[in-house]
Amino acid sequence: MFELIKNKTKIDFVGLFPITSTLSTLAVLASIILIFTSLKYGVDFSGGAEIQVKFDKSVNVADLRSTVSAAGIESASIQSIGDVSENEYLLRIPAKEENLNELQAMLVKALTSKFSDSGVQIRKVDLVGPKAGSQLRLSGFLALAWALISITIYVGLRFHFKFAPGAVLSLFHDVSIICGIYAIFGIEFTLQTVAALLTIIGYSINDTVIVYDRVRENQEMYPGNDLKTHINNATNETLSRTILTSGVTFISSLAMLFFGGVAIQDFFLAVSIGIVTGSYSTIYVATPITLILDRWSERKLATQNAGLAK
Amino acid sequence: MKANWWYRFLLFVFLTVLSAVTVMPTIFKFDENSKFPIKSKISLGLDLQGGLYMILGIDFKKVYKDEITGYARKMAFSLNDFGVKAKMGELKVTDPDDPQFSVVIENAADLEKAKQRIKDYFPSIIRMTEEKGTELFYGLTKVIRTQVEEQSVTKSIEVIRNRIDEFGVTEPEILAQGKDRIVVALPGVKDIERAKELIGKTAKLEFRIVNDEVPPAKIQEWLEKVKASGLEFKKGESWSKYVVAVNEKLKADLPKDFELAFERKVNKTTNEVTLLVPMLVDAVPRLTGDELQDAGVQIDQQKNEPYVSLEFKSLGAKLFEEITGGNVGKRMAVMLDGNIYTAPNIQTKIGGGRAQITLGSGNFNSLMQQARDIALVLRAGALPVQLDFQEQRSVGPSLGQDSIAKTSLAALISCAAVFIFMMFYYRLSGVIAVVTLLANVLFILAGLVGLEATLTLPGIAGIALTVGMAVDGNIIIYERIREEIKKGIGYYKAVENGFNHAFWTILDANVTTAFAGICLLQFGTGPVRGFAVTLLLGIVATVYTAYFLNNILFEFYMNKTEGQDLSI
Repeated sequence: MFELIKNKTKIDFVGLFPITSTLSTLAVLASIILIFTSLKYGVDFSGGAEIQVKFDKSVNVADLRSTVSAAGIESASIQSIGDVSENEYLLRIPAKEENLNELQAMLVKALTSKFSDSGVQIRKVDLVGPKAGSQLRLSGFLALAWALISITIYVGLRFHFKFAPGAVLSLFHDVSIICGIYAIFGIEFTLQTVAALLTIIGYSINDTVIVYDRVRENQEMYPGNDLKTHINNATNETLSRTILTSGVTFISSLAMLFFGGVAIQDFFLAVSIGIVTGSYSTIYVATPITLILDRWSERKLATQNAGLAK
Repeated sequence: MKANWWYRFLLFVFLTVLSAVTVMPTIFKFDENSKFPIKSKISLGLDLQGGLYMILGIDFKKVYKDEITGYARKMAFSLNDFGVKAKMGELKVTDPDDPQFSVVIENAADLEKAKQRIKDYFPSIIRMTEEKGTELFYGLTKVIRTQVEEQSVTKSIEVIRNRIDEFGVTEPEILAQGKDRIVVALPGVKDIERAKELIGKTAKLEFRIVNDEVPPAKIQEWLEKVKASGLEFKKGESWSKYVVAVNEKLKADLPKDFELAFERKVNKTTNEVTLLVPMLVDAVPRLTGDELQDAGVQIDQQKNEPYVSLEFKSLGAKLFEEITGGNVGKRMAVMLDGNIYTAPNIQTKIGGGRAQITLGSGNFNSLMQQARDIALVLRAGALPVQLDFQEQRSVGPSLGQDSIAKTSLAALISCAAVFIFMMFYYRLSGVIAVVTLLANVLFILAGLVGLEATLTLPGIAGIALTVGMAVDGNIIIYERIREEIKKGIGYYKAVENGFNHAFWTILDANVTTAFAGICLLQFGTGPVRGFAVTLLLGIVATVYTAYFLNNILFEFYMNKTEGQDLSI
């Protein structure tokens, strides 16, 4: 038997909770502030136009810039994408420009005529009007909210409602930290990011469910132990599974991130980060909250009983 | 082995064969005409084969303005008919959602009579909002505004659908989204600028006289001749180019100044042409939609039959009178964008700029539907709706090919990494895991063909990711078996316990992922939707392969070793 984790681990996860929960709370708070202050929205949500253009021969970026200016679009940004030798660029027209449609058409025309010798190809055009942008923002937010709500209800019904807040907060933790990291590194938040966040919500909950499952199973088998012991045991027992699964999925996600090309980079970057935060949050976010809720309800029960005794 | 092992095994074999047969046309790129029983292939999404995706918005403010202006004209017309001298006043737009137009009554004594007449004539369509001496202001009623909103969307979809054939698109998608948006997806369209231009322009409406002197048999004979010469309409090609080619071929046969046109009946749900009726019509239109003022559905109170009413502008009215006068007894084809929509008989000379298309008697509802459709087509030419491009995404074909190559390679690397790891870590059991994962991928692909879903770039990525995630099911079971073995119970029992304990865990984990997948399906459009479909299919396939298939294979394995050996 080849094992990554030999013998049964006996890590006191619960003992680490005070430190980790402080860290997690700080990280989530910082992320939320960053989301509201410096998260950069891609063209899908902010509106605007994006033109992906590729040339057979290398072109001078200054030439490109002058062509864009000549088309009357001063505010456009030009960015090289992929490997420099691929001569591929992304031109952006911000949403504040009126007549996006005409501007974009003009720019495409200008590019094709000016660079016809360099083998210009307009590879992709994304144009999102301000109305559509706000529509997408709303539906993206709603989709995330619905996913969280439905998972909370399911976990509540399948296990115990005591478990639900922990599960949902751990997911919230993952989502906000991914967004926070995006904000720090100035990575654009796009439609694909939302899809990745939803995937992570669905994936990250697996770990949590598995630990909960084990807690429930142990509770049935050893009814004498308190929840703290159950949580420690369950986390230790499932640890090799958690590390193996996350590890394997992480490997496959990294492979997609590095070899999959620009088009799906956004998606797998978020998924890769999410796999890491997802494993962490199962152990250090979901279970502590369950424990806190359990203690709180016990204390409440105790005071009630004390009240009755009087 | 349990008694029902063979049944479960046969089910697996059946599913595998079925899936393999389903995906074969896709993998080996079978021709449409091959003898293989399954024709459908996985169609590639817009992002992979290139194409155009648009969300068009309708500017209702402009539509309301046009509507109320039209009614003001009708009111003035109707009052003058009635003997009350009146003319159109002015447009007042204080609230863009409720613009108003005034009618000026020339003789103050007629004021009450005019008000009554308008009330009688346009009940529930317009309402008086203000009275300034002899100037009466009217606005549209709420009912009619709602109706306009609904009609504008259907009308625009009708017009756009009409033009889609022009692009040579095999699977166009045109749907209403919300109240004021239309989604148009044209996968594979090459000339994106032209497609945009054509969708944006207004419909071309024409009236031509039908030549019925040539018997239908003769027309059929001509068409046979065309077919014999090898010219045939193929799905995915431009319809109008085909019609032009047909007329070119028959140039010598057709009578001078006439050409062939077709009446097309399009099935609205499948978007397929169900009927083609060829007719010989004027080569040059007698009258065009520019001269049409308005069209609507009216009901003949005496006969209780719906009919279509037409109203022409002044020049159009004169032309229409001449044309009808000279062609009584003949049919007049109403054509939109080169196709015949209806060809009613001219019963009499029609003057005054107003005409009716009667539909005869029959089922009231179906006649009503027919009348509405015709009015819709007529108005589409006469009353364009302002469509603005709210969202536009276009992908060139080269990008898609690059993406397929890159993503497929990455997906292979990603799957290979997972396979190697599993075989290294779990040895023979790892090989079983790889078998289940391969079956998983096969089932997902077959599911995509079966659901006629499109494969998008994130979809390919989703397959790789599903493999990465499906492994979870194997790991849960294997780790559990290892745990049981450590307890010192025999291999046989350990395997059984491992599977028993793992079932609900696997199911719970996958159900929660499915919730996220469903939300993603609701949220996403295009490529993201493709990913959601793959993810959801992957979940179903994972539960089957990771638990049930694994179980079948392990039972066989345990039976072979008689519970004495287990490489895990």
